[in-house]
Amino acid sequence: MAAQGAGQRGARDPVQTEIDIRKVSKVFGQGTAAFHALTDIDLQIRSGEFFTLLGPSGCGKTTLLRVIAGFEQPTGGSLQIDGKEVAGLGPNQRPVNTVFQNYALFPHMTVAQNIGFGLKMQGRPRAEVAATTDEMLNLVKMEEMAERKPSEISGGQQQRVALARALAPRPRVLLLDEPLSALDLKLRKEMQGELKRLQSETGITFVFVTHDQEEALTMSDRIAVMNKGRILQLGSPHEIYHSPTERFVADFIGDTNFLELPVSAVEGAEATVTLPGGNGTAARLPDGMTPRPGEKVITVIRPEQAHLVEDGPADLQAEVETAVFFGTDTHVHLRLPDGQGFILRRQNVDHMAEPAPGTRVGLRLSPGALRVLRG
Amino acid sequence: MEATKERHGWKWLLCTPALIVLVLAASGPLMIVLIYSFLTPGNMGGVNWEFTTEAWFRVFWRRDIFDPDQVTWNEAHLTVFWRSISLSLQTTLLCAFLGFPTAWFIATRPPNSRAIWLFMITIPFWTNLLIRTFAIQELIRNNGTINALLLQTGVINQPIQIMYTDFAVLLGMAYVFLPLMVLPLYAAMDKLDFRLVEAGYDLYASRIKVLWYVILPLVKPGFIAGSILVFIPAIGAYVTPRVLGGGRTMMLGNLIALQFGQGRNWPLGAALAMLLLIIVVTALVLYLRWVNREEVRRG
Amino acid sequence: MAEVTAGTERALRGGSDAARPARRRNYSVRRLPGFGVIAIFTFVMLYLPIVILVAYSFNEGVSQARWEGFSLQWYEAAFNNRQVRDVSVRSLWLAVTASGIATLLATLAALGTTRTSRFPGQTMIYALINQPLMVPEVVTGIALLIFVAAIKVQTGYTGMGYLVAAHTAFCIPFAYLPIRARLETMDITLEKAAADLYASPFQAFRYITLPLLVPGIVAGFMLGFVISLDTVVITEFVKSAGQDTLPTYMLGQLRRTVTPEMNAIATLFLALSLMIVTAFFLITRKRGV
Repeated sequence: MAAQGAGQRGARDPVQTEIDIRKVSKVFGQGTAAFHALTDIDLQIRSGEFFTLLGPSGCGKTTLLRVIAGFEQPTGGSLQIDGKEVAGLGPNQRPVNTVFQNYALFPHMTVAQNIGFGLKMQGRPRAEVAATTDEMLNLVKMEEMAERKPSEISGGQQQRVALARALAPRPRVLLLDEPLSALDLKLRKEMQGELKRLQSETGITFVFVTHDQEEALTMSDRIAVMNKGRILQLGSPHEIYHSPTERFVADFIGDTNFLELPVSAVEGAEATVTLPGGNGTAARLPDGMTPRPGEKVITVIRPEQAHLVEDGPADLQAEVETAVFFGTDTHVHLRLPDGQGFILRRQNVDHMAEPAPGTRVGLRLSPGALRVLRG
Repeated sequence: MEATKERHGWKWLLCTPALIVLVLAASGPLMIVLIYSFLTPGNMGGVNWEFTTEAWFRVFWRRDIFDPDQVTWNEAHLTVFWRSISLSLQTTLLCAFLGFPTAWFIATRPPNSRAIWLFMITIPFWTNLLIRTFAIQELIRNNGTINALLLQTGVINQPIQIMYTDFAVLLGMAYVFLPLMVLPLYAAMDKLDFRLVEAGYDLYASRIKVLWYVILPLVKPGFIAGSILVFIPAIGAYVTPRVLGGGRTMMLGNLIALQFGQGRNWPLGAALAMLLLIIVVTALVLYLRWVNREEVRRG
Repeated sequence: MAEVTAGTERALRGGSDAARPARRRNYSVRRLPGFGVIAIFTFVMLYLPIVILVAYSFNEGVSQARWEGFSLQWYEAAFNNRQVRDVSVRSLWLAVTASGIATLLATLAALGTTRTSRFPGQTMIYALINQPLMVPEVVTGIALLIFVAAIKVQTGYTGMGYLVAAHTAFCIPFAYLPIRARLETMDITLEKAAADLYASPFQAFRYITLPLLVPGIVAGFMLGFVISLDTVVITEFVKSAGQDTLPTYMLGQLRRTVTPEMNAIATLFLALSLMIVTAFFLITRKRGV
């Protein structure tokens, strides 16, 4: 059946495509009441990668996950898993398993019965079900709890059981729908590490849905940032954080300064923009964007990519409005000469004095940090 | 439009067996009652298949035996209607008077003992109505517990006649229907935010004023639900007035039954049954409309 | 400084006192004058008649007012009364049969009417299912009397079928309620999870939905059982000669001067109802199993 051959897999070509999504769209309702949950999604998820769909609630990430799982049928487009078209197949006919947000553990079954359920439904021999269940219990370190009911174990333990249950049939792809959202912070950190470990031990492709940008950055091989049913940017955590190409992406991930600056020259993928105060500096352009000189563009720079300079050359001058102490770092709120606000994050090494409100300071930007946004 | 695309056939298929039984043994016979109310009575009960509105006419009026054109109010029937409505309303009031403090008492118990008090209210509700009526009868009949006790202690020297009076019926109905008032009242009080009561006291209201201006308006839905739940079975009561009221204090339910027994006037009985149904449905419709309006008002 | 110390002292003496230092008396917003008294009175009045009824079933004599010593003679009389035995067996048989059928039908109907989008005719189905709850029993009773009389004339059949059908219809809404409630609170993602784990729709029903529904089905059956056992008006109108159930037998006996034998029968009946209701509560209260 569908999950055949998923049992023993050797090392695979790392860039082989596991899930191939082309022009997938999903519309709920009709006519004027129609809601476009997904619009022309094109996405190739690679074998064995930890892939994250990131976005605010209602952005379509969960719908996309449900389309992959088979709980929703796409309105248009094609969806291939492991090279086979799966449109029209039910969730029980696809080699993917889901870890549900609320875990959806069967309350009337023991932990072991929950884990063995998928294998039993596949009609595997009793001995194999038992062996794999033991193996999975071992994998998630839940051997002691095998005979407990889900109501008798903690939230973190339920999470492990849900993972073990979804992994037991050795799916090609594991789908995780905000699985950590119900856990408290400490447990969440622990489970993040656990998930990474399980992924590398099993080699199964993980598709992870979250609205938590930090979680996405720390865990993923690649991230797709979604909003309003579309994928805005796709890339490694580094690319997403340091080279956002859309305002939404820059805003959604991390703290950001947006500066509206005039372009003075364009050379290939790089533009020269004029900073408040008159100095010119280089800013990288997103693919396919060539603004005309004199045109104003939105640029972005992270708060930790600007530095206060006591003496020596500064890129621009600013006036301190307030400084907020956060322990490891201090956020300095600045006002630029043209009136735009700017936040700078300074690491607190030793006992550094906070700059007093009203003082004029010089700012230096990290070379290559400034980026032009599309739009 | 969209709904037609979905397949609903299987849902109907699952409901069909239940619907067949319900139509055969509940709704269908009700239709027949409606038809019978427009037929002519047979000699030994039953009907003759001749259309007439005579049965409906006789619900309210009577003809003189010698001069059929001489029409007077059917006072015997009107007395029964009046007693039914009056006793049902009195029952509702009595249940409300006893039920409100009882529900309040339960709702203000500590959470762990609340379930026990609530259970104590529900036990009588699930025990046989006939047995509870019997228990009341044993208490109030002429050689029953109360009279015997009063006679022994010398308070009276002649048993008080309680059985076969309107009061006995009222007592019995209030006794058997009380849980129906307490349960919805409790449900409403359970949801009550006691910070609102505190706010009332904080703003200088006395206990009576808090009760009147804060608590009562907030638990009104429970109050009205309870009143409907008591009034409807009370107006349709048959067992309690039959056992405690006897032949002299008949209610609508007994009058209906009489037409199928000694009265042998099935069409009249059918018309009276329809009248009872109309009263009940009207009360229900008014209630549901009130609920809808309230839901709209509260958003 | 002195005020602080006084406050601390109060706090040490009693937490609630310190929280409201201005109030000496315990001023509970939950207390309403006289309500407790009426409530206790109500509870006493609710149970007193039943307690007396039960107590005098053990009385040596015939009186309902004078205690003449403990005796089980009325229970003995009840057990030896052939008619009581017959009507009791008939009542139990009828309750099991009618409630059993009603529970099966109500389960199917609940599966068809819950957790789906609205569909044409749904309101009508609800109305039909709940109709026995709204129509006064005496009206249903005479309606069935008319209908049954007509069928009897046509077919000549006078068996228990009429009572079974009437009780089944009456039990359906009661059986339907807990089953539907159970289905509605059931987490729909459980079935999705089963489908995700390769269960076919039938397997998902067999291994997930049905086991989780069992408490609702059991509760529905018990409710139907109690209702059928208590039904007196409908039975009174539908029964043919010699088809008395325990309640109609008792109703007939109440017209005469009754002996404490009736108390004994009622007590046993009460005990049975109480057992079922308690079991029902335990089953419905135990959630998530």
